[in-house]
Amino acid sequence: MPTLENPYLLKAGRVEKVIKECEGVYTFHVRTQEPAYPGQYNMLYAFGVGEAPITIASMGEECIVHTVRAVGDVTRHIDQLREGDYLYWRGPYGNRWAIERAYNKTLLIISGGLGLAATRWVFEEALNKPIKRLVHLYGSKDYDSLLYRYLYENWSSKVEFYITLDRPDPRWKGKVGLITELLKELELDEDTIVFTCGPDPMVKACVRILQEKGIPQNNIYASLERHMKCSVGTCGHCMIGPYFVCKDGPIFRYDLIREYFERKEV
Amino acid sequence: MESKGKGGGYLLSLEGIRELFDRLREKYRVIAPKLKDGLIAFSDVDNFESLPFGYKNVEAPGFYSLERSGGYFTYTHPYNSFKNFLHPPELTLIKVKKENGKLSFQVHIQEEALCLFDIRACDLSALRVLDLVFLHKNPHPDPYYAGLRKGLFVVAVNCTYATSTCFCSTMGTGPEVKEGYDLLITELSEGFLVEVGSERGGEILEKVENKSDAERRHFKEKAQRLGETEATMRVHFEKEGLQERLYGRMDSTYWEHIEKRCVACTSCTQACPTCFCFDILEKNQLDLKESQRVRVWDSCFSPSFATVHRFNLRQSVHSRYRQWLMHKFAYWVDQFDCFGCVGCGRCITWCPVGIDIREEVRRIAYA
Ligand SMILES: Cc1cc2nc3c(=O)[nH]c(=O)nc-3n(C[C@H](O)[C@H](O)[C@H](O)COP(=O)(O)OP(=O)(O)OC[C@H]3O[C@@H](n4cnc5c(N)ncnc54)[C@H](O)[C@@H]3O)c2cc1C
Ligand code: SF4
Ligand code: SF4
Ligand code: FES
Repeated sequence: MPTLENPYLLKAGRVEKVIKECEGVYTFHVRTQEPAYPGQYNMLYAFGVGEAPITIASMGEECIVHTVRAVGDVTRHIDQLREGDYLYWRGPYGNRWAIERAYNKTLLIISGGLGLAATRWVFEEALNKPIKRLVHLYGSKDYDSLLYRYLYENWSSKVEFYITLDRPDPRWKGKVGLITELLKELELDEDTIVFTCGPDPMVKACVRILQEKGIPQNNIYASLERHMKCSVGTCGHCMIGPYFVCKDGPIFRYDLIREYFERKEV
Repeated sequence: MESKGKGGGYLLSLEGIRELFDRLREKYRVIAPKLKDGLIAFSDVDNFESLPFGYKNVEAPGFYSLERSGGYFTYTHPYNSFKNFLHPPELTLIKVKKENGKLSFQVHIQEEALCLFDIRACDLSALRVLDLVFLHKNPHPDPYYAGLRKGLFVVAVNCTYATSTCFCSTMGTGPEVKEGYDLLITELSEGFLVEVGSERGGEILEKVENKSDAERRHFKEKAQRLGETEATMRVHFEKEGLQERLYGRMDSTYWEHIEKRCVACTSCTQACPTCFCFDILEKNQLDLKESQRVRVWDSCFSPSFATVHRFNLRQSVHSRYRQWLMHKFAYWVDQFDCFGCVGCGRCITWCPVGIDIREEVRRIAYA
């Protein structure tokens, strides 16, 4: 047997830029020349602490972009990195958004909370692809949790980019209410392609509304979040039904996972 | 005597088997059954006398004991499995050193010539299953498993006895060993029939002096003994169509019935030769200059196994049992083109409350 590539080896890249998005959420631009595709993720490593799967939020000039919310051991460490520090990771892992399916059609992107990190790159790509109509709905729990404020102006000037906040705020002049309300109001043709990432309940609720609008389940793609340890299909943690989210996903065509995703405790 | 290649057969005396063992010991680290704390356990064995000859394991749901019996290979498989050696309970994946704020990495892949001496049909099937999981059906083949697996020499033994928890005949994995061995031993009234399954098996046997050519009657006796073993086992459920049936029963109320008994102790997943799930933990030096990333067995029964944020996706114990059983008999087929159960019965014996997976499958899929 030829010597096998070791899937647990880590790479290093210099942190070129750090942006504070909001309290406890930072975006890192990290130098690398590794190819990657929208939808994929990396396992970020914190010395002595462990690893966490983090979406590749975008790709800059010889840089990958990661947006990390400090919720636990690993992410708290990562969020302390500053310009000139080194980030260690392995990847990229996982599949890509099926953007070709949206060519000459309507593409609807639905992002909930930090899910915007998982859709940002494919959204940026879609701006330059032959897409008939591009709509992006983004729901955030409150004003202070909004990500990527510095990009909104550019996005809204080009396509239909709508934001809604769960909670009203005196500083916010836009929509208030759940993302499902925004979705209900939207006029969509039945052959719309949908990409979504957000908390499981949000995804389920949006799919129900999309079905009422006549959009078939096989037009809908969801990026899932599951517990991951190895990311290479060997540790068993990320299983949902017969699928390994780490290697068969994280993006799934909805009709293929609905059975497992919608059933309790699968 | 003329040497025989693949497919050939010899009759060996006990002395011949000892010679064979000693020859293997010269070349390999031999893993074989051994008496240990009142159990027959796969262990490192240096000495032919350590084999648990003349014992027989008596097993039932939640029950294990040893009895004396006439003969030699009169037991079934050891209480633990070969998995402990190819996918060890604890294995360092990578050593990370920190110096001046920078990290460096060290990997050590153990490549050892291992010999499994006395592996039974069920476990040999489990070995094929683990090969699929770690290597052949894995887009990122595991170099650690590959290192230990690479030179593995397999001496298989046909079972001439089955204990009450065995159900290899239901799963179609035994009691007869059909493939995947270098040498295959069957205990007969006149001695031991040894069949050659590979070139290197033939080569090592060539050096054994105490042997004669096997004759037709020896193969006949082998078939007869295997037939007798098989006849003591019941077929517990139909394997054909089982996967589809189970997919149709995911909402069965019977799962909740299991919750009343299962204590989620993870014993079954540890005893199982095919359960492969693991966690990766950090083992740190106190001065935080070095940290090891260590792979340790994990279990779908443990509460933190499927946590996303602060939510355990499988909060109830019955949902964890469903995950285990559905994985073994349904998901596994989609993932690896085979069942994740080989019918060794270990999970039945080592379940403290005596949950019997055969019975649960039957009730869920066929009741
Ligand atoms: C494919 C994929 C892509 C992902 N992409 C991103 C991404 O781009 N950015 C990102 O920030 N995360 C992302 N995540 C989520 C991230 O991997 C997890 O949050 C991960 O568990 C963080 O690791 P940790 O060690 O910091 O926290 P853990 O050690 O896993 O968590 C420690 C503890 O923190 C608490 N905790 C964790 N999350 C929450 C929460 N939301 N609310 C309250 N308490 C909590 C829990 O008690 C938990 O046990 C992604 C996950 C997947 C599977
Ligand atoms: S599920 Fe039970 S009977 Fe089947 S292989 Fe695993 S331990 Fe053996
Ligand atoms: S089935 Fe038995 S052995 Fe397995 S976790 Fe439940 S109680 Fe433990
Ligand atoms: S994360 Fe290990 S199998 Fe998916």
